[in-house]
Amino acid sequence: MMLGDARTGKLADNITGFGRTLRRAGVRLDSTRIGLAQEAAQLVGLASRADLSAAMEAVLVSREQDRMVFRELFDAYFRNPDLANKLLAQMLPSAEGKAEPSRRRPRVREALAPQKPLAAARPTAPDQELEFDAAMTASSLDRLKHADFNSLSASEYALVERLAREVPLALPQVRARRTRPGPQGARMHWPGVMQGAARHGGELLRLPRLERREEALPLLVLVDVSGSMERYARLLLSFLHAATHNLRRRDVFAFGTHLTDLSPAFRLTDSDAMLAAASARIADFAGGTRLGASLATLRQQHARRLVGRRSLVLIISDGLDTGEPQDLERELVWLRGRCRRLLWLNPLLRFDGYAPVARGAAVLHRQAHGMLAVHNLAQLQDLAASVARVITR
Amino acid sequence: MSTQSASPSFATIDALTQALEQAGYFADRRLAMAAFLALKLQRPLLLEGEPGVGKTELAKALAKVLQRELLRLQCYDGLEQREALYEWNYAAQLLHMRAAELKHGEGGDVEREVYQDKYLIRRPLLQALQTPAPGAVLLIDEVDRADEPFEAFLLEYLGEYQVSIPEIGTIRAKVLPVTILTSNRTRELNDAVKRRCLYHWLDYPERERELAIVRAQVPGASEALSAQVAHFVGRLRSQPFANAFQRAPGIAESVEWAKALVALDTLVVDPEVVADTAGILFKQRDDVAALTHQLASDLLKPEEEEA
Repeated sequence: MMLGDARTGKLADNITGFGRTLRRAGVRLDSTRIGLAQEAAQLVGLASRADLSAAMEAVLVSREQDRMVFRELFDAYFRNPDLANKLLAQMLPSAEGKAEPSRRRPRVREALAPQKPLAAARPTAPDQELEFDAAMTASSLDRLKHADFNSLSASEYALVERLAREVPLALPQVRARRTRPGPQGARMHWPGVMQGAARHGGELLRLPRLERREEALPLLVLVDVSGSMERYARLLLSFLHAATHNLRRRDVFAFGTHLTDLSPAFRLTDSDAMLAAASARIADFAGGTRLGASLATLRQQHARRLVGRRSLVLIISDGLDTGEPQDLERELVWLRGRCRRLLWLNPLLRFDGYAPVARGAAVLHRQAHGMLAVHNLAQLQDLAASVARVITR
Repeated sequence: MSTQSASPSFATIDALTQALEQAGYFADRRLAMAAFLALKLQRPLLLEGEPGVGKTELAKALAKVLQRELLRLQCYDGLEQREALYEWNYAAQLLHMRAAELKHGEGGDVEREVYQDKYLIRRPLLQALQTPAPGAVLLIDEVDRADEPFEAFLLEYLGEYQVSIPEIGTIRAKVLPVTILTSNRTRELNDAVKRRCLYHWLDYPERERELAIVRAQVPGASEALSAQVAHFVGRLRSQPFANAFQRAPGIAESVEWAKALVALDTLVVDPEVVADTAGILFKQRDDVAALTHQLASDLLKPEEEEA
């Protein structure tokens, strides 16, 4: 932050810098916004920090889920007046101030860090090479462990947001019971007919009709969070959260040895808040897989989530189930009878020429309407694209 | 475009807050700031928040303090330009044409005559643009209920305060209307709309503000009763109690509840009264059932005792 008189333009520089930092943290804003923020700052003055924060927030934030990021960033940016020493300040928590730097979310910390030269910039995708330790994959251990999802880093957040925009989950549309006026349809839209006639002096020029509305199928996702899927779970959940945000009916469950209802967590709009809530709920993270038992819980406790046999059920799992295959088969038959389509996405294909021969996988393969096995997904975009692909098939 | 008007202009945020309070609206500092900037920067203000936190009320209060007319456009699925902007009075136009035929047979400048101002039916958007000084306050309510094409249609208005009517031309605002949009977020609004607006997320009020609202709206309630209502509802919304409910009651609900308690001649809120009137606070069967006797007495306990 540069110091100087407000009228000489230092304020403008600082606000521009702040806007750019916000953008790095994943808040969408364009340069006209920043110009507007400067106007607002001139109006409000610098007498009160709280007022300036409120004014900047009204101008620069346009989504509820961005508010907390904004506040943390504003606190950090306008407290510590030396941009060049920012990194130092991160390492040596200063005595003044409320928010401990370490408690800021990673997105904010990353946006505040001095920028690396372009060449050194990381590629947008977190391309860690994923290798799978088979030791844990088919464990029947009921290892109770709470999930501990980290908050998203800035690049991960940007990636998740971008994928949710660019890889639309094209859920099949069905015609619903409700109607709306339209050019075609079986029934007359009598109020429309009368209004049209009144408008044209009693002449009937056009006969409006009622057509059935289109609606996306309800979606129910079962995500495997057992040991073998451990490394995906976090980004996968973030992606599902961002991509299904607009769906009226979607339910998300996690399963390992138990079934966990993640829908309350998914109702939170902020991805970091969602991950924190999901972490608190999932008690069987990175343990074994018992799909059969988890589906039995679904049948006993959450059967009404499957709306009128119209739901699209998506199971994301490697199918290495350690329960009894008969149990799994029975539950899958039940589930299959109560949804429109039962889809299985296996993201952990280990070798080419894969055939679902493992006991659980064979049952899943037999019962699912559709199955997609993908080779060793290293990047989230592949996973996102696969989810979209298996749904549209 | 002229911006001079007879309506009061507020030099500071405090002045605006005070004026709003006199109109019966208790805004917190951040909301007052957003409203103040919307007036000064002449940008539309988009308000989002849970139902019943006072989004619509703000527009009404603003209209009152600015001494401007409030025009309200309630959005719904299928809302069209002709209900939002303008429509020609076709029946009158037809009559005009028939009369013109009788008068001078063929010819005449019938077409121009038909599209004159007096056959134009003005809907809220057009009215807002044409209101003479001091101008209007336009409330575009629940904009998330309208469909996306309607949002696109709003862009010209929100960005330039003008609309284009093919038969007449572009109509610009005489006095820039103060525009408030509200949304319950049943869906995410388009970025293009958001870009043109200032944004404020309305939260549930803190206890003092809620108490002030209940006091102002329900003058019949005793001081102790108002305080109990504000206290009870405030804790109902806070952790860990909020988890038990699907939808927390808004300000509108607490005001309604206070009114009901006054009507029932209640002096002190006790768990029985809470159980009897739970239907006012909650509108869902599960939530009403979740407000058990035990929970109600827990909530009514003073906080210190619990901690």
